[in-house]
Amino acid sequence: MKWTIHPAKLLLTLVALPALLIPALALGYIVYQGGAVISWQFISTSAELSGFGASSGVFSQLAGSLLLAVGACIVATPVALGTALFYQLSNNSRLCHHLELLIYLLQAVPPIVYGLFGLILFVQIFSLGVSLIAGMLVLAMVLLPMLTLNNITSLQRIAIEQTDAARALGLTESALVLRVWLRQSRRELITGQLLAIARALSETAPILFTATVFSGVVWPDSLLSPVTTLQTHIFYLAQEGNHPQSIDVAWGSALVLVITIVLFSLLARALKPSGGNL
Amino acid sequence: MISNSRLSNITAPVQHPTTALQIDQLKLSIQGQPILHEISLSLPTSGITALIGPSGAGKSSLLHCINLLQQAWQGEITLHQKSIRQWPGGDEKLRRHIGLVAQKPTVFPTTIYRNVVFGIDGFWQRRNAHAIAEQALRQAALWGEVKDRLHAPAASLSLGQQQRLCLARALAIKPKLLLLDEPTASLDPKSKQLIEQALSQLASHIPLLLVSHNLEQAQRLGEQVIFMCEGKVIEQADCDTFFNHPQRVESKEFLRWAVCECD
Amino acid sequence: MLRLFIHSSAWLSFSGLLLLSGFLLYASWPIFSEQGLYFIAESEWYPYEDLFGMLPALFGSLLSVGVALLIALPLGVAAALFNIEIVPSCLQPWLRLLMELMAGIPSVVYGLMGLWLLVPFLEQQLDLLTGRTLLAAALLLSVMVLPTIMVLSEDALRKVADDQRQRANALGLSWWAVVQRILLPQAWPGIRLATLLSLGRAMGETVAVMLVIGSIDRLPEPLYNLLQPAQSLTSRIGREMGEASVGSPHWSALMSSGLLLMLMSVAVVLLSQRRWFK
Repeated sequence: MKWTIHPAKLLLTLVALPALLIPALALGYIVYQGGAVISWQFISTSAELSGFGASSGVFSQLAGSLLLAVGACIVATPVALGTALFYQLSNNSRLCHHLELLIYLLQAVPPIVYGLFGLILFVQIFSLGVSLIAGMLVLAMVLLPMLTLNNITSLQRIAIEQTDAARALGLTESALVLRVWLRQSRRELITGQLLAIARALSETAPILFTATVFSGVVWPDSLLSPVTTLQTHIFYLAQEGNHPQSIDVAWGSALVLVITIVLFSLLARALKPSGGNL
Repeated sequence: MISNSRLSNITAPVQHPTTALQIDQLKLSIQGQPILHEISLSLPTSGITALIGPSGAGKSSLLHCINLLQQAWQGEITLHQKSIRQWPGGDEKLRRHIGLVAQKPTVFPTTIYRNVVFGIDGFWQRRNAHAIAEQALRQAALWGEVKDRLHAPAASLSLGQQQRLCLARALAIKPKLLLLDEPTASLDPKSKQLIEQALSQLASHIPLLLVSHNLEQAQRLGEQVIFMCEGKVIEQADCDTFFNHPQRVESKEFLRWAVCECD
Repeated sequence: MLRLFIHSSAWLSFSGLLLLSGFLLYASWPIFSEQGLYFIAESEWYPYEDLFGMLPALFGSLLSVGVALLIALPLGVAAALFNIEIVPSCLQPWLRLLMELMAGIPSVVYGLMGLWLLVPFLEQQLDLLTGRTLLAAALLLSVMVLPTIMVLSEDALRKVADDQRQRANALGLSWWAVVQRILLPQAWPGIRLATLLSLGRAMGETVAVMLVIGSIDRLPEPLYNLLQPAQSLTSRIGREMGEASVGSPHWSALMSSGLLLMLMSVAVVLLSQRRWFK
């Protein structure tokens, strides 16, 4: 009955439906294609070194992705937290203003540009080569702005009365930070880390030239050896794999990657004290 | 610089050994808005001084100036004849001599015991921390209610108990001065009474500066009254004198109508 | 100790943008000193003949992003309105969750779908020689930014105060009039921000675009022709970075593409954050 009263609503529904259906169908398609491929064996074994990656098993890729993402998060966290604390402790509002603008600018820089930067600085000038550590550093730079913004919001949620009460007791700045701020916002800070890991898992461009190789690596020996990741695995298979089996592996890898990312985001959501934005 | 310090030497009032806190010519503006105008007052070494006045008179801002949570003021504040600006060891050391109880009970999300020792608990635990905590809780009239559950979360206490916990926390740092910002404003009569009793007992050895909206409470507890309005001290007098024979027109109006129209 | 840590991390963040632009400028300096600046406006890109015209890629980037936003913006805003106004409130959080998860799906997975689903589809339907076209890139980008636009527009729409809407209802305005005169104008700043944010994201998108755009450095003929293979700044960097030898003019031309990309995204943020320059 609603529909007859408001033809405008009908029109809106017609425009909105593709916007809602296409992403849902896309997700369904990944699950359909990937679901046919993945099995416990697919996730828990590594492909043989020979061949064109057509032999299935993405364990080393999954491990490589996680290693890079978690490593990047570990590198980025102290810097992000320090910057957020600087923002919160500083009395200089002009400086904070500029810092905020700067973080927004850094956030807008395309990931591939970070990749280029990493290629110049880490891979070539520091001669780390195409390596795990170079990839971690580049990804850490990609994560830095979002982590910093997240940490700032987490710290801002702490009631001003708590800060005043702690200060009034004569707590030093470091005691205030450690015993009040970090303690009270730890859940939100951890949420931020999980979201950052999810974000790092979804980035391909920055690690394409800095950290990964297509095949030949099962497990990196050290921080200085290259890795294989799910993201680049999918990329190479999609691009060059011509026989159907490798495309199947690509779909399977895509589903594994999507599931991993969704798990991290859902975990972050579950930990978040109150619901809210992404 | 030189002429400035000479000037302050000349204008510095005579310090009585019986004065715990002395405020001279305190001025505070926030973002161009004047909040406090040339406040001058003094507190004896013990007893309750009630700070009354309509809301927006700058009472809370004054408290924040005294423990340096607000730093953007000009003038001079001395605690036991020492300027608080140049306090040896910095602002944190100064705040360890000044207890503050806010209007809204603000407990930290941890146990009752940890809350009490929050101010004295550093990286290493103080050896006699337990004794200090017990004494503080006794002074705040809370010991009897919490002695069996010191390690329960502080948030499980009632609002009135939480406020007494805040008082105990402020007392645990052994303050030389206690600032109270309408500590009983949002509490039940029972807690109000307990806190008032506790304050009267404390007043025998440290000075208390009690901001209160409640004139009866001010009359009941205060030995001295400071009446503030629109950022100015209108009148400072003994409690009896103030309530029975106020000197200023504004004070009379405030006592009669609870309104204040300065200037 | 804490001060030192906080200040050093803040300075690290502060120096981020400077380092990025500095090293990119350093790496692309050879091409600037050799060819001046006007190669940016030239249309021939033959690295082996030292011709580095940026125009086709620049044009491809702008056109694909423009078309993608033209598609995604109305759909996304409509979907946000639909979710708020028509979907029963018990379903709203689930729809939003779906969108948030979609926003987190890695671009390489979209690329895989684009290459093995969208491209063949376009080939069949439009009877093309190759489906790897500017249109494919634009469609894929529009699907990618849709969830972001929807989530951010929904936030903006929800912020419009309830009492305003109730007052409008009390005035007897029709549903459509409320949407048109109250909701959309009030939420416009948020929607604008969402648009600029997705613009930046789409412009910097690399792997997905790279897989479907066809990577041929040629201006389309006529210029509005979307059905030809094309090139974008990001896809060119991604495609050729591996081949270019370090320090060669080719390498430095690619670096200058990255620099250009960065400057463009910085400009977008400055546009979106105009309030900083009052």
